Amino acid sequence: MGRLFAIEIIYRGIFQKTLGKHISRSIVLAAHKEDKLGISFGRYGDSPERNGIPAKNFAIVATDEQTLEEGMAKYEPKEVDITIAVDDTLCKGVESWAWYGLQPVNRLLKPGGTLIVTSREQPEALIEMAHRKEYPYKLAIVKGTPSFSGLWVYKDDHTDVRILGAIARILPELFSLESVQKAIMDEWHDELKATSAGKSYERTTSLTVQPNQGNPEEPYRFDFPKWHEMGEGIAIPSIPAGHSFEDPTTHAVGGFRPDRNPTFKKFSTRTMRPVVNFDTCIKCTLCWLQCPDSCFDVTPDGLYDANMQACCGCGVCEAVCPVKDCVTMVNETEFRDNASQWEMWKKDKEGYKTWLEEKIKSHPERSHGFRYRGQYEEQVPEMLEIAREG
Amino acid sequence: MATYVQIDPTQKLDPFKAVKKIPLEEFFTSGHRTCQGCESSLVMKTMAKAAGPRTIILGSTGCMYVANTTYYSTSWVIPWMHTQLGSSGSAALGTAAALKALMRKGKIKNEPINVIAFCGDGGGADMGVGAISATLTHPDYNLLILMYDNESYANTDIQLSGSTPWGAHTTFSPPGKVKRIMHHRWKKNMAGMMAVGHPTCRYVATMCMSYALAGMNAIRKALSIGGPTFIHSLDPCPKGWDYDPYLSHEMGELAVNTGVWPLYEVEDGVLRLTGRTQQLAAGKIKRQPVRNYLLKQGRFAHFTNDDIDYFQSKVDEMWNKWLVPGVIPFRKEVEADNPPA
Repeated sequence: MGRLFAIEIIYRGIFQKTLGKHISRSIVLAAHKEDKLGISFGRYGDSPERNGIPAKNFAIVATDEQTLEEGMAKYEPKEVDITIAVDDTLCKGVESWAWYGLQPVNRLLKPGGTLIVTSREQPEALIEMAHRKEYPYKLAIVKGTPSFSGLWVYKDDHTDVRILGAIARILPELFSLESVQKAIMDEWHDELKATSAGKSYERTTSLTVQPNQGNPEEPYRFDFPKWHEMGEGIAIPSIPAGHSFEDPTTHAVGGFRPDRNPTFKKFSTRTMRPVVNFDTCIKCTLCWLQCPDSCFDVTPDGLYDANMQACCGCGVCEAVCPVKDCVTMVNETEFRDNASQWEMWKKDKEGYKTWLEEKIKSHPERSHGFRYRGQYEEQVPEMLEIAREG
Repeated sequence: MATYVQIDPTQKLDPFKAVKKIPLEEFFTSGHRTCQGCESSLVMKTMAKAAGPRTIILGSTGCMYVANTTYYSTSWVIPWMHTQLGSSGSAALGTAAALKALMRKGKIKNEPINVIAFCGDGGGADMGVGAISATLTHPDYNLLILMYDNESYANTDIQLSGSTPWGAHTTFSPPGKVKRIMHHRWKKNMAGMMAVGHPTCRYVATMCMSYALAGMNAIRKALSIGGPTFIHSLDPCPKGWDYDPYLSHEMGELAVNTGVWPLYEVEDGVLRLTGRTQQLAAGKIKRQPVRNYLLKQGRFAHFTNDDIDYFQSKVDEMWNKWLVPGVIPFRKEVEADNPPA
């Protein structure tokens, strides 16, 4: 038997669909330059993709046909040599829309396998976000702002080829830089892209993450119902009506907190979250009313508290809020928990103010696709500068 | 006719006077698997809120079926049932008839129960239009058919539908180097068609949930007026229209303010332009150029200035040349149509 290589690409649905496809397809094409065989495919359950909900592509490569067939016989690989997360907030976990529960980003990594992340964060921040693993694995960062675009217009900021260059460095048995560059020239006829892959190859380093490093939380999971437990006619219970709740400081009871789907949460769909300045809120109701995800709990004192199990980070609340800087979307990398902001504010208003200002100040702006024509042309040079200069 | 038609009482659903009067309770809650900034799920939420707890919802296949009720989980609080892609009309009529029969036979309590069937533009304007039309001719069943229109088959990754606007990039109409415009049809005028074609239907309206209070009140009127009713909602879709999800609300406002999406209601045969559209038509506010709307969407990123001008000319025609502006495209004379080469 020959050798089987498996690489997974975890990406944000729709936003990075083309990027994910470019990477997995080019892995196979580059391996082909060294007479290896391969297949690139998207995970069946992720289609149809939804904006922001994590999805996966796989590239399976083998040194001979029989080994490839064996690899292809599996629905999806059980373990991979490399996991690529093209958005750093995916380090917090992956909850596909097609299963129950949250899976750690590094779940499929073999012992000694490498997690490649595109990020502007330092390694410590990413390690802290990812769940712990029982054996050591490696982390490599391809420096840059995670590349987000949409279904139709692709932002060609060289993230695709820079990832390929990093793979050649990390797993030279799979393919050499030369093969990557040949495949890039065949595909894109672009010297600059081949150069970007080369620069990335030269710069890529990795560090080892030990089993005692990372998020110690047990990712939430669910028991699947057995077939004999399922209702007749595929009838399922509806969500119970919501209820009012208690203010932890004044013990006043009021407001409304809807019950929520217990088996699908938005913790890993989000790349940003709203932070709310309760002191300036005028209780206009718009964030609550216009939120497609009903994520705002109405508090007993009539404020609106974004519940982090339901917020998918779309930013509509910030867009509709009539008060300047009352709702601000902040990069999800800035947060380590999903606690209620309103409770924090109730308990310590001064402390909350400091926290809020710090979060807003430190937030690197994120872009989530097409805002106006010409926007990508403005964003790409900065990324190419990083590709060139590191 | 009146002696044969037996109309049951409906729930009394007065309009909400202000946003602060909207009840806090949610009947479509969190945990659906839709996109970030999904306006159609906002329509589901506000529709359920407007209708209240004594409501049965039927959903034909589409995003709002697949994303909201998959893998043995749901975000519906009130009873919901799936129905086939083209059968929102038949399912609504059948459910309303069944409720009527069960109540007549004394098998369930006699009380007005709202029946709402929703469909997407694919399920409604394309596949289901026959069944919806048939249903709207039955005056003695109380029901609402709500078409949420995201201008494509969005669930299966954006194939063009009868509701897709001219020139838009979809999976079926990718612009190429040789041929730039691959979609040459104009959006089907669904609400106008339903209003004109079904004189006994007491209420047809258009809405956009960027104007949530007006939209919810349209739903409440449709449910309380009696008989079968129809609402067509334009829902900006960040996935298929290719824009940053935070723009969802603004995109709906732009559709209305550029005149692309007219808001109106036809109540007992009387047409009334509503909201911003009324102000636009009365000249109180100026229509924005469609350029502002088109340039924010990736699906129109391949448009040249000529394409934008042509799109604008079609919207102008709708307001200046249609005999009933924004609603019915009858003209006094034949208009030349010169799409860009």
